Amino acid sequence: MNAPGAALLEVDGLNVGFKTSDGLVRAVTDVSFRIDPGEVLAVVGESGSGKSVTALALMKLHPRSAVISGTAMFDGVDLLALGDADMRAVRGNSIAMVFQDPMTALNPVFTVGFQISEAVLAHNDVTKKAAWARTVELLDLVGVPEPRQRASQYPHEFSGGMRQRAMIAMAISNDPKLLIADEPTTALDVTVQAQVMEVLREVRKETGAAMMLITHDLGLVAGAADRVQVMYASRLFEAGAIDDIFYDSRNPYTRALLGSIPQVDSERTERLLAIPGNPPSLLNPSPGCPFMPRCSERVERCTEELPTLLEIRGREHRSRCHLAQELAPISEVLP
Amino acid sequence: MFAYSIRRILTTIPLLLVALYLVYIGVSVTTDPLAEFRLCLPRCQEGYDRIVELYNLDQSVFVRPFGWAADAITGDFGTSNVAGQPVSTVLWERGINSAMIAIPAFLLAAVLALLLSVYSARRQYSAGDYVLTGLSFFGIAFPAFVLGLVLQVIFAIKLPEWTGWKLFYTGGKRTDNIGEIIGTVTLPVVTLATLFVAADSRFGRAAMLEVINSDFIRTARAKGLSERRVIWRHALRNALIPLVTLWALNFSALLGGSVITESVFSWPGLGQILIPALQRPDLDMVMGIVIFTAIITVVFNLLADLLYGVLDPRIRYD
Amino acid sequence: MTDSSTTKLEVDIAIATEGLTAEPKSFGKLARERFFKHKLAIAGFIGLVLIASIFVLGPWLSPWAFDEPNVLNRRAGPSRDHPFGTDTIGRDLFVRTTMGGRYSLTIGALVAVLATLIGTLLGSAAGFFGKWIDTVVSQLVNLVLVVPAIIVLSVVALRFGAQPVGIAVVLALLLWTRIARVVRGVVMQFREQEFVMAARAAGAGSGRILFRHILPNVFGAVIVEITLLIGLAIVLESTLSFLGVGVKPPTPTLGNLVFQAKGDINSDPIRVLLPGMFIVAIVLCVNFLGDGLRDAIDPRSRADEKE
Repeated sequence: MNAPGAALLEVDGLNVGFKTSDGLVRAVTDVSFRIDPGEVLAVVGESGSGKSVTALALMKLHPRSAVISGTAMFDGVDLLALGDADMRAVRGNSIAMVFQDPMTALNPVFTVGFQISEAVLAHNDVTKKAAWARTVELLDLVGVPEPRQRASQYPHEFSGGMRQRAMIAMAISNDPKLLIADEPTTALDVTVQAQVMEVLREVRKETGAAMMLITHDLGLVAGAADRVQVMYASRLFEAGAIDDIFYDSRNPYTRALLGSIPQVDSERTERLLAIPGNPPSLLNPSPGCPFMPRCSERVERCTEELPTLLEIRGREHRSRCHLAQELAPISEVLP
Repeated sequence: MFAYSIRRILTTIPLLLVALYLVYIGVSVTTDPLAEFRLCLPRCQEGYDRIVELYNLDQSVFVRPFGWAADAITGDFGTSNVAGQPVSTVLWERGINSAMIAIPAFLLAAVLALLLSVYSARRQYSAGDYVLTGLSFFGIAFPAFVLGLVLQVIFAIKLPEWTGWKLFYTGGKRTDNIGEIIGTVTLPVVTLATLFVAADSRFGRAAMLEVINSDFIRTARAKGLSERRVIWRHALRNALIPLVTLWALNFSALLGGSVITESVFSWPGLGQILIPALQRPDLDMVMGIVIFTAIITVVFNLLADLLYGVLDPRIRYD
Repeated sequence: MTDSSTTKLEVDIAIATEGLTAEPKSFGKLARERFFKHKLAIAGFIGLVLIASIFVLGPWLSPWAFDEPNVLNRRAGPSRDHPFGTDTIGRDLFVRTTMGGRYSLTIGALVAVLATLIGTLLGSAAGFFGKWIDTVVSQLVNLVLVVPAIIVLSVVALRFGAQPVGIAVVLALLLWTRIARVVRGVVMQFREQEFVMAARAAGAGSGRILFRHILPNVFGAVIVEITLLIGLAIVLESTLSFLGVGVKPPTPTLGNLVFQAKGDINSDPIRVLLPGMFIVAIVLCVNFLGDGLRDAIDPRSRADEKE
């Protein structure tokens, strides 16, 4: 139904707030972005930056106390305007999600196979037997050895990496058009992380799904994403093609994040460039730039005026910084 | 699992024996079965001798329990000298009466606690949740006898006065008229059920809340499952694990005879004969009740453990 | 039971953002703040003080004595002279109820003190020394749990329990197990911690380590149990009295007042229910207070979460 070249997902002016006893906490503020069919968009930021809340809001899996505005056109319909029943038909079907912690994301009292076949049965009019066969096929696809036997085991009999594979199998069970992976490797060992990323790449190749990869780890993004957007204190801070972000970032916050990636060739003793300070409170945002107190480039203007998300030199590269155009080339600031 | 059960039962037996021994001695030294005979001696020497003979009162108090145990092992639990019937017969008849209020009360409490827990957890902080939580706090604060008396006053005394309808009876089990028996059983059942619902629904709400906020429930929703399936299949199946354990213990407490509720409503169950048996003392009867309730406690404790293992695949007994 | 409608996620957000805005607070201050935020706990505390002052002042303000019969004015309804009416032999029920409340509260407090002493002693010995002491204490706990409490209570109460102190001792002997279990757990947890190791390395003896370094940490967990124990003891005492095996009249307790009035329930239900309602009120207040204290001392275990 969408015209060639049209976006798969187009989010416009998304706001998510939470009512608390101390006032409204703005977890996502005026976020707009798009994902094209088949591409990988990485959403990067520290914890609390609003990246996970964005994803949960798209799936309408947010807590009940959330207040949401904006639109999210997916395949011609506004997800945020969908009723419960229509949203259920989307979840796990055309949009599927992989969560952070595979240790807690599977129900401990049901077998892994049961939980995957449930996803198949929820969206397809097939017999339980057929769903089970599909489950075994899916487990095989994500590289779970002896899928037939493993399907009837419980989650606690799976290792962390194997559970995440099972979660991925569950997510792709209905050939989704969009896969949302929320920190899919954060809870895993480093060696297992690479394997899981590889599985994600494989299944995307198989299904042609687009992916929204949420992570705090820019290192993970480098080999996996087509485009990157960086979030800070509930707002988009920079967005662009992967090369624009990595080699020509126009934002001090992104640069600080890039500086904190451990380099493979650097000496172990070399101190990581951690970003000093903490993210600001989301309760009563100050009028200026939220990154100002931690920013190495700050000028007077930053305390009074929130920078707008500016298009850089006509490309699809946007940055929220008063100095976006003036910053020195990235090669001069980072080793 | 079978081996585990056997081992559990075997390890409990010594404890049970010590408990029985202590209770026997305790009752023996604190009461005097000969009291009423002492006054009429030597006129009633015959009755006096019969009691001495019956309870081996010529032996040391520390030896006497073994005489009882020797009989008990052969299945002879003695005779109730009040009822004039074998203890096992009395236990059986009274036990059935106790079950008549225990089983409905248990079922009512379990179903209600379950529904209320699910409601409260799904609508956390709603007006309904606050009301239910408040009520359960209130219910927990009621001692069984106060609640029983309150219900008795309202439904058995005031209701007929106001409306002329005599629906509920409190005089114990007097007839075989099925309607009247139901009218008699209702209030004690409601009393017991209320007490357990108050405690269980609070526990159940907490268990359900913990489950509802867990990651795997979000996963279940992310799959596109219906809310009904998410709650009643995925969430409830997990919340049931602690609840079932609680229920097994509840049930043993209920079946052991609820002394207080039966006493308030003069219901001739196991509980109601305990205090008179202790006062007399009707020693064999007391021992019979103790061993009966102890066995039920042990069995249901074990059952609770085993059910835990069945419901939670992470637990293995071997 | 908190008044805010925060979810886990929001709490995370609040925690993540708090570091910048709030200055560090001491444990005591935090605990106090949490306690006072807990409105029901305050209500419970005020309620208890109120009930206790009625019990203390009642007999003192009334012209009647609690055991003074008046055959000419039996089973009288409430009046100016006798606000709660009179009983079967014409004793003033207001004085008897408030006196009964005194005895019930005293028994509750006494049980709490005794049970805490026994429980703390046995529990800390089991947790600290382990080995055979632990085994013995654990079996003792199991023994108390296997024997139906009501039987022990009745047996002992029938013989020795006519006096309030006797009943309190018996109840304490049955109710120490929970405290022992809690104390044992905490002591075992602290036994292996660094500051205890350090004290041991510095040459401190077992007694000193236990009393100076470990037991102060037990206090928080035990105070909640003590609060709830007072309520439980009052309920058990009144239940025994209701069954006719508790404190013997003419000494009144809330329980035996109900027991004595039970025969007249058809004609005069208020006389039965009034002392009962006092018991309910006390237990309600005690539970609210315990909940608030638990909240204040251990922020992780919210009142509405698992116990």
